[in-house]
Amino acid sequence: MSKDILIFVECKEGTVRKVSLELLTKGKEFTERFSSNLYAVLIGYQVKGIAEELKAFSDKVLVVDNEILKNYRWDTYAAVLEQLVKKYIPYMVFGASTITGKDLFPRLAARLNVTIVSDAVGIDFGGEGVRIKKPIFGGKIISWTACKEGSTPLVTFRPNSFSIHKRSLNGELIEESLKIAKDPRLNVVNIERGGSKKVDIQEADFIICGGRGMKGPENFQVLEEIADIMGGRVGASRAVVDSKWREYGDQVGKSGKTVSPKLYIGCGVSGALHHTMGMDTSKVIVAVNKDPNAPIFQYADYGIVDDLFNILPILKDELKRAKEEV
Amino acid sequence: MHILVFIKQVADTEARIIIKGDQKSLEIENKYNINFFDEVAIEEAIRIKERIKDSQVTVCTYGTKKAVEALRTAIAMGADRAFLLDNTNLENHDPLIIAKILSSFAKREGFDLILCGRQAIDDENANIGAITAEFLGIPHVSAILKLEIMDEKKVRVESELEGGREVVEVQLPALLTTQKGLNEPRVPLITGVMKAMKAAIPSIDPCSLGIAKEDINTDASRVIVLSYEPPKKRPPVKIIEGETPEEKVENLMKVLKEEAKAI
Repeated sequence: MSKDILIFVECKEGTVRKVSLELLTKGKEFTERFSSNLYAVLIGYQVKGIAEELKAFSDKVLVVDNEILKNYRWDTYAAVLEQLVKKYIPYMVFGASTITGKDLFPRLAARLNVTIVSDAVGIDFGGEGVRIKKPIFGGKIISWTACKEGSTPLVTFRPNSFSIHKRSLNGELIEESLKIAKDPRLNVVNIERGGSKKVDIQEADFIICGGRGMKGPENFQVLEEIADIMGGRVGASRAVVDSKWREYGDQVGKSGKTVSPKLYIGCGVSGALHHTMGMDTSKVIVAVNKDPNAPIFQYADYGIVDDLFNILPILKDELKRAKEEV
Repeated sequence: MHILVFIKQVADTEARIIIKGDQKSLEIENKYNINFFDEVAIEEAIRIKERIKDSQVTVCTYGTKKAVEALRTAIAMGADRAFLLDNTNLENHDPLIIAKILSSFAKREGFDLILCGRQAIDDENANIGAITAEFLGIPHVSAILKLEIMDEKKVRVESELEGGREVVEVQLPALLTTQKGLNEPRVPLITGVMKAMKAAIPSIDPCSLGIAKEDINTDASRVIVLSYEPPKKRPPVKIIEGETPEEKVENLMKVLKEEAKAI
């Protein structure tokens, strides 16, 4: 079997998602080590412009451009990937542990009868064999797993697991025309996009998260302003979502989203285990809380013990100034 | 309507977990619950049963004998029947194998609708639902936020998309995975708990479902756990000092820029 890697590229609003560029960067490291090929798979409609961009990141860009693929569906996308994996027989297939990846990859694993490791945060191929790093039990334990040789395992990675390095490759663009049919048992009645250009919370480099200490939904406005300055997102604790101050999609924690931003700032977040299990892989954690005994301080790198309503307006101005300086 | 619900018993989020000396096995404190997202699935199944006459809710889990506790909780909530797919001597981590067992059970029992949580909070996987659906040759929808039964042959569901939502009509039989927001799982009433204590919960050997033992035993797993390790510990928190809020923020900005290089 070759040591080629095939990566399913996700797009949003006509651009390649950051997580896919992370995977291409890591995949290239792998194929450079084994002198093999990195395949980027781009599926969609009128995506040839994006394919050009991907040439810099991969050896071959497999493009499947078809109107039927305009919107993601597991039936059509799995059909495409199934055919490509069978044709190119890669050593491994990488995808993102996103809403799409979590929906598509298990279905594909079953079709190909290959195994799947999901929500990984690292991969080590420096020593003997390939080891995959994956947090379990909400990050209380890190497991290292391997897949038996002989089939093509599928691995999905959590966004923000790897850094992005643009290469100046000049990958070959290969247009694939494949048989694709929709499953008639599934009828999409309506798709409602938020229209937001904001980065998805799981991909955000910056998250400012509000807890019950924010005292009410109206006070999240300042967090929104700070998130906008930083090009990031506002998160919320479970208590906040249960109180209907914020939507469920903003919830960070065990029953919400798992996030790994470069910088996380928790404001009035107590630090219940439920919440910290969703954010403790953040690179730098800052906590602002007037209670010096709040558990969040056990997880934070830096802490400010003060009333958050005194701190936030000043923090907003300082971050704005810092951004303008860059 | 016959609704099957797949559940998993998982360690409580507060449970202490210790890596054993061999670094390949774990000791888990004896605190277990039904996987949160599966509780949502049980609740939804019971709500359908309450709305649609002659419906039946069957709950099943692939797990150890201890997992019977989770099945009893499901009966206490209102499920009609429960089955344990006993994994004694068959323990493995390969989602393909677990889905194979669950789909064989589903074929044997028959069903109109299968519900299960969008992911397990212990292994952090989100695989079983969609893999089982593929093995059964039925459609699935992941992480639904709303479910409406249109008739005995069709459901309408709403689910989360990247940056939006979609509404899909799905023909039955189908498999749907559930998540927070769909409903609020009920706390069982004492009458339900009494009923659950008395309920007979059959234990099924997965090998009796027409699957060859060599296809599902521990060695058949193609995912191998090499080792466990604790997560990297962060150094103790540095409390940013200052006489005034302005000074504290100024000092924080300094460390974020110079020390943490986070800005």
